[in-house]
Amino acid sequence: MKTLLLKLEPLIWFMFGQGIMIGTMLLTGWILVLGILMPLGIVDPMNLNYVRAQQLFTTSLLGIPIAQLLLAALLVLPLWKGAHHVRSLLIDFGGGERDGIVGTVLYLIAIVGSVMGIGAVAGI
Amino acid sequence: MAGPAHPEAMAPPTPGRTRTAPPQMPSTWWSSPRIRTYLLFDATGIIYFFVGFLAIKIVGQLGEGPIAWQAQMKALENPIYIVFHVISLISVIFVAVRFFRLFPKAQPPAIGPAKPPPGPVIHAGLYVVWLGLTALISLALAGVIL
Repeated sequence: MKTLLLKLEPLIWFMFGQGIMIGTMLLTGWILVLGILMPLGIVDPMNLNYVRAQQLFTTSLLGIPIAQLLLAALLVLPLWKGAHHVRSLLIDFGGGERDGIVGTVLYLIAIVGSVMGIGAVAGI
Repeated sequence: MAGPAHPEAMAPPTPGRTRTAPPQMPSTWWSSPRIRTYLLFDATGIIYFFVGFLAIKIVGQLGEGPIAWQAQMKALENPIYIVFHVISLISVIFVAVRFFRLFPKAQPPAIGPAKPPPGPVIHAGLYVVWLGLTALISLALAGVIL
Protein backbone atom coordinates (compact mmCIF):
# COMPACT_ATOMS: atom_id res chain seq x y z
CA MET A 1 0.00 0.00 0.00
CA LYS A 2 2.67 2.46 1.10
CA THR A 3 4.79 1.67 -1.96
CA LEU A 4 1.82 2.26 -4.25
CA LEU A 5 1.08 5.59 -2.54
CA LEU A 6 4.72 6.62 -2.99
CA LYS A 7 4.55 5.75 -6.70
CA LEU A 8 1.33 7.75 -7.06
CA GLU A 9 2.71 10.65 -5.01
CA PRO A 10 3.12 13.03 -8.02
CA LEU A 11 -0.52 12.47 -9.07
CA ILE A 12 -1.77 12.76 -5.50
CA TRP A 13 0.16 15.98 -4.96
CA PHE A 14 -1.09 17.37 -8.28
CA MET A 15 -4.73 16.77 -7.30
CA PHE A 16 -4.10 18.05 -3.76
CA GLY A 17 -2.42 21.18 -5.10
CA GLN A 18 -5.30 21.90 -7.48
CA GLY A 19 -7.74 21.18 -4.66
CA ILE A 20 -6.20 23.68 -2.34
CA MET A 21 -5.72 26.35 -5.04
CA ILE A 22 -8.59 26.03 -7.54
CA GLY A 23 -10.96 24.30 -5.11
CA THR A 24 -10.62 27.13 -2.60
CA MET A 25 -11.05 29.81 -5.27
CA LEU A 26 -14.24 28.22 -6.62
CA LEU A 27 -15.77 27.22 -3.29
CA THR A 28 -15.80 30.69 -1.71
CA GLY A 29 -18.57 32.16 -3.89
CA TRP A 30 -20.50 28.87 -3.92
CA ILE A 31 -20.61 28.62 -0.13
CA LEU A 32 -21.33 32.33 0.30
CA VAL A 33 -24.35 32.48 -2.02
CA LEU A 34 -25.80 28.96 -2.07
CA GLY A 35 -24.97 28.07 1.53
CA ILE A 36 -25.52 31.36 3.38
CA LEU A 37 -27.07 34.29 1.47
CA MET A 38 -29.87 32.33 -0.25
CA PRO A 39 -30.94 30.27 2.78
CA LEU A 40 -31.01 33.46 4.88
CA GLY A 41 -33.14 35.19 2.23
CA ILE A 42 -30.55 37.93 1.61
CA VAL A 43 -30.45 36.76 -2.02
CA ASP A 44 -33.75 35.59 -3.49
CA PRO A 45 -33.55 31.79 -4.03
CA MET A 46 -35.84 32.22 -7.06
CA ASN A 47 -32.83 33.74 -8.83
CA LEU A 48 -31.51 30.18 -8.94
CA ASN A 49 -34.71 28.31 -9.65
CA TYR A 50 -34.58 25.04 -11.57
CA VAL A 51 -34.77 26.56 -15.07
CA ARG A 52 -32.14 29.22 -14.39
CA ALA A 53 -29.84 26.76 -12.57
CA GLN A 54 -30.04 24.44 -15.58
CA GLN A 55 -29.19 27.33 -17.92
CA LEU A 56 -26.39 28.68 -15.72
CA PHE A 57 -24.67 25.33 -15.13
CA THR A 58 -24.77 24.39 -18.82
CA THR A 59 -23.43 27.72 -20.13
CA SER A 60 -20.93 27.26 -22.96
CA LEU A 61 -18.31 29.62 -24.29
CA LEU A 62 -17.11 29.12 -27.89
CA GLY A 63 -18.54 25.61 -27.80
CA ILE A 64 -16.66 24.73 -24.59
CA PRO A 65 -18.96 23.70 -21.71
CA ILE A 66 -17.16 26.12 -19.41
CA ALA A 67 -19.78 26.10 -16.62
CA GLN A 68 -19.81 22.30 -16.41
CA LEU A 69 -16.01 22.19 -16.34
CA LEU A 70 -15.91 24.75 -13.52
CA LEU A 71 -18.66 22.91 -11.66
CA ALA A 72 -16.82 19.59 -12.01
CA ALA A 73 -13.66 21.23 -10.65
CA LEU A 74 -15.67 22.70 -7.76
CA LEU A 75 -17.09 19.28 -6.86
CA VAL A 76 -14.01 17.11 -7.39
CA LEU A 77 -10.94 19.10 -6.34
CA PRO A 78 -11.90 19.89 -2.71
CA LEU A 79 -12.19 16.14 -2.07
CA TRP A 80 -8.49 15.70 -2.88
CA LYS A 81 -7.48 18.57 -0.64
CA GLY A 82 -9.65 16.98 2.04
CA ALA A 83 -8.21 13.49 1.60
CA HIS A 84 -4.59 14.65 1.71
CA HIS A 85 -5.00 16.95 4.68
CA VAL A 86 -7.02 14.43 6.70
CA ARG A 87 -4.25 11.90 5.99
CA SER A 88 -1.68 14.39 7.22
CA LEU A 89 -3.76 15.10 10.34
CA LEU A 90 -4.07 11.39 11.12
CA ILE A 91 -0.29 10.94 10.78
CA ASP A 92 0.22 13.81 13.24
CA PHE A 93 -2.10 12.28 15.82
CA GLY A 94 -1.82 8.57 15.14
CA GLY A 95 1.69 8.11 13.76
CA GLY A 96 2.74 6.72 10.42
CA GLU A 97 2.34 2.98 11.06
CA ARG A 98 -1.11 2.76 9.50
CA ASP A 99 -0.53 5.48 6.93
CA GLY A 100 -0.55 3.01 4.02
CA ILE A 101 -4.08 1.77 4.68
CA VAL A 102 -5.39 5.13 5.95
CA GLY A 103 -4.05 6.99 2.90
CA THR A 104 -5.41 4.37 0.53
CA VAL A 105 -8.90 4.54 2.07
CA LEU A 106 -8.94 8.35 1.99
CA TYR A 107 -7.82 8.55 -1.65
CA LEU A 108 -10.35 5.85 -2.59
CA ILE A 109 -13.08 8.02 -1.02
CA ALA A 110 -11.76 10.95 -3.10
CA ILE A 111 -11.80 8.80 -6.27
CA VAL A 112 -15.36 7.59 -5.61
CA GLY A 113 -16.44 11.17 -4.84
CA SER A 114 -14.76 12.40 -8.04
CA VAL A 115 -16.69 9.86 -10.12
CA MET A 116 -19.92 10.85 -8.33
CA GLY A 117 -19.16 14.55 -8.91
CA ILE A 118 -18.47 14.11 -12.62
CA GLY A 119 -21.60 11.95 -12.86
CA ALA A 120 -23.67 14.65 -11.14
CA VAL A 121 -22.40 17.31 -13.56
CA ALA A 122 -22.98 15.06 -16.57
CA GLY A 123 -26.52 14.40 -15.32
CA ILE A 124 -27.59 18.07 -15.41
CA MET B 1 22.38 5.91 -5.46
CA ALA B 2 23.01 5.82 -1.74
CA GLY B 3 20.40 4.22 0.52
CA PRO B 4 18.46 6.17 3.12
CA ALA B 5 20.38 7.25 6.22
CA HIS B 6 19.93 5.02 9.26
CA PRO B 7 18.19 6.90 12.10
CA GLU B 8 20.94 5.81 14.51
CA ALA B 9 23.71 6.68 12.04
CA MET B 10 25.11 9.44 14.27
CA ALA B 11 24.92 7.41 17.51
CA PRO B 12 28.27 6.54 19.14
CA PRO B 13 29.41 2.92 18.54
CA THR B 14 29.22 2.15 22.27
CA PRO B 15 26.71 3.66 24.71
CA GLY B 16 28.10 6.54 26.79
CA ARG B 17 28.40 6.45 30.56
CA THR B 18 25.60 8.94 31.01
CA ARG B 19 22.17 7.39 30.98
CA THR B 20 19.83 9.08 28.52
CA ALA B 21 16.08 8.80 28.20
CA PRO B 22 14.66 7.86 24.81
CA PRO B 23 13.33 10.91 22.93
CA GLN B 24 9.67 11.51 23.68
CA MET B 25 7.23 13.94 22.24
CA PRO B 26 5.78 16.23 24.94
CA SER B 27 2.11 15.47 25.58
CA THR B 28 1.24 19.12 24.91
CA TRP B 29 2.95 19.20 21.50
CA TRP B 30 -0.28 20.21 19.78
CA SER B 31 -0.82 23.28 21.97
CA SER B 32 2.08 25.31 20.63
CA PRO B 33 0.55 28.22 18.64
CA ARG B 34 2.52 27.45 15.45
CA ILE B 35 1.61 23.75 15.57
CA ARG B 36 -1.99 24.60 16.40
CA THR B 37 -2.33 26.77 13.30
CA TYR B 38 -0.72 24.04 11.21
CA LEU B 39 -3.10 21.41 12.64
CA LEU B 40 -6.06 23.71 12.05
CA PHE B 41 -4.95 24.09 8.44
CA ASP B 42 -4.89 20.29 8.09
CA ALA B 43 -8.24 19.96 9.88
CA THR B 44 -9.92 22.11 7.24
CA GLY B 45 -9.57 18.96 5.12
CA ILE B 46 -12.50 17.48 7.06
CA ILE B 47 -14.63 20.51 6.13
CA TYR B 48 -13.53 20.27 2.47
CA PHE B 49 -14.58 16.61 2.44
CA PHE B 50 -18.05 17.42 3.78
CA VAL B 51 -18.57 20.53 1.68
CA GLY B 52 -17.43 18.63 -1.46
CA PHE B 53 -19.85 15.77 -0.90
CA LEU B 54 -22.66 18.19 -0.03
CA ALA B 55 -22.02 20.11 -3.27
CA ILE B 56 -22.16 16.80 -5.19
CA LYS B 57 -25.52 16.06 -3.57
CA ILE B 58 -26.84 19.53 -4.45
CA VAL B 59 -25.81 19.25 -8.11
CA GLY B 60 -27.12 15.68 -8.20
CA GLN B 61 -30.55 16.97 -7.15
CA LEU B 62 -30.52 19.39 -10.07
CA GLY B 63 -30.27 16.38 -12.38
CA GLU B 64 -33.24 14.77 -10.62
CA GLY B 65 -35.69 17.46 -11.74
CA PRO B 66 -37.40 20.65 -10.51
CA ILE B 67 -39.13 19.11 -7.48
CA ALA B 68 -35.90 17.59 -6.15
CA TRP B 69 -34.06 20.88 -6.80
CA GLN B 70 -36.65 22.97 -4.94
CA ALA B 71 -36.61 20.49 -2.05
CA GLN B 72 -32.80 20.70 -1.92
CA MET B 73 -32.86 24.50 -1.88
CA LYS B 74 -35.46 24.39 0.90
CA ALA B 75 -33.34 21.90 2.86
CA LEU B 76 -30.39 24.31 2.77
CA GLU B 77 -32.46 26.71 4.90
CA ASN B 78 -32.09 24.32 7.84
CA PRO B 79 -30.00 26.14 10.52
CA ILE B 80 -27.63 23.15 10.72
CA TYR B 81 -26.74 23.61 7.05
CA ILE B 82 -26.38 27.38 7.51
CA VAL B 83 -24.04 26.98 10.51
CA PHE B 84 -22.05 24.35 8.60
CA HIS B 85 -21.71 26.71 5.63
CA VAL B 86 -20.60 29.59 7.87
CA ILE B 87 -17.89 27.30 9.33
CA SER B 88 -17.01 26.23 5.79
CA LEU B 89 -16.68 29.83 4.63
CA ILE B 90 -14.38 30.63 7.56
CA SER B 91 -12.32 27.51 6.73
CA VAL B 92 -12.04 28.38 3.05
CA ILE B 93 -10.94 31.96 3.82
CA PHE B 94 -8.41 30.66 6.37
CA VAL B 95 -7.00 28.20 3.81
CA ALA B 96 -6.81 30.88 1.13
CA VAL B 97 -5.05 33.45 3.34
CA ARG B 98 -2.53 30.91 4.68
CA PHE B 99 -1.91 29.11 1.40
CA PHE B 100 -1.54 32.29 -0.66
CA ARG B 101 1.03 33.53 1.86
CA LEU B 102 3.00 30.29 1.59
CA PHE B 103 2.72 29.90 -2.19
CA PRO B 104 5.27 32.56 -3.25
CA LYS B 105 7.83 31.07 -0.83
CA ALA B 106 7.41 27.63 -2.42
CA GLN B 107 8.33 28.81 -5.93
CA PRO B 108 11.59 27.58 -7.48
CA PRO B 109 14.19 30.30 -8.04
CA ALA B 110 14.00 29.65 -11.79
CA ILE B 111 12.40 27.29 -14.29
CA GLY B 112 14.94 27.09 -17.09
CA PRO B 113 15.65 30.66 -18.19
CA ALA B 114 12.37 31.97 -16.72
CA LYS B 115 12.32 33.44 -13.25
CA PRO B 116 9.07 33.72 -11.29
CA PRO B 117 7.80 37.22 -10.50
CA PRO B 118 8.69 38.69 -7.08
CA GLY B 119 6.83 37.17 -4.12
CA PRO B 120 4.57 40.18 -3.44
CA VAL B 121 3.46 40.19 -7.09
CA ILE B 122 2.50 36.48 -6.94
CA HIS B 123 0.77 37.08 -3.60
CA ALA B 124 -1.25 40.02 -4.94
CA GLY B 125 -2.05 38.10 -8.14
CA LEU B 126 -3.52 35.20 -6.19
CA TYR B 127 -5.76 37.59 -4.24
CA VAL B 128 -6.92 39.30 -7.45
CA VAL B 129 -7.85 35.95 -9.06
CA TRP B 130 -9.49 34.64 -5.87
CA LEU B 131 -11.58 37.75 -5.21
CA GLY B 132 -12.39 38.14 -8.91
CA LEU B 133 -13.59 34.55 -9.24
CA THR B 134 -15.54 34.81 -5.98
CA ALA B 135 -17.28 37.98 -7.21
CA LEU B 136 -17.99 36.40 -10.61
CA ILE B 137 -19.40 33.16 -9.16
CA SER B 138 -21.39 35.00 -6.48
CA LEU B 139 -22.97 37.40 -9.00
CA ALA B 140 -23.73 34.56 -11.41
CA LEU B 141 -25.37 32.41 -8.74
CA ALA B 142 -27.31 35.40 -7.39
CA GLY B 143 -28.69 36.12 -10.87
CA VAL B 144 -27.03 39.53 -11.22
CA ILE B 145 -25.01 38.47 -14.27
CA LEU B 146 -25.36 35.69 -16.91
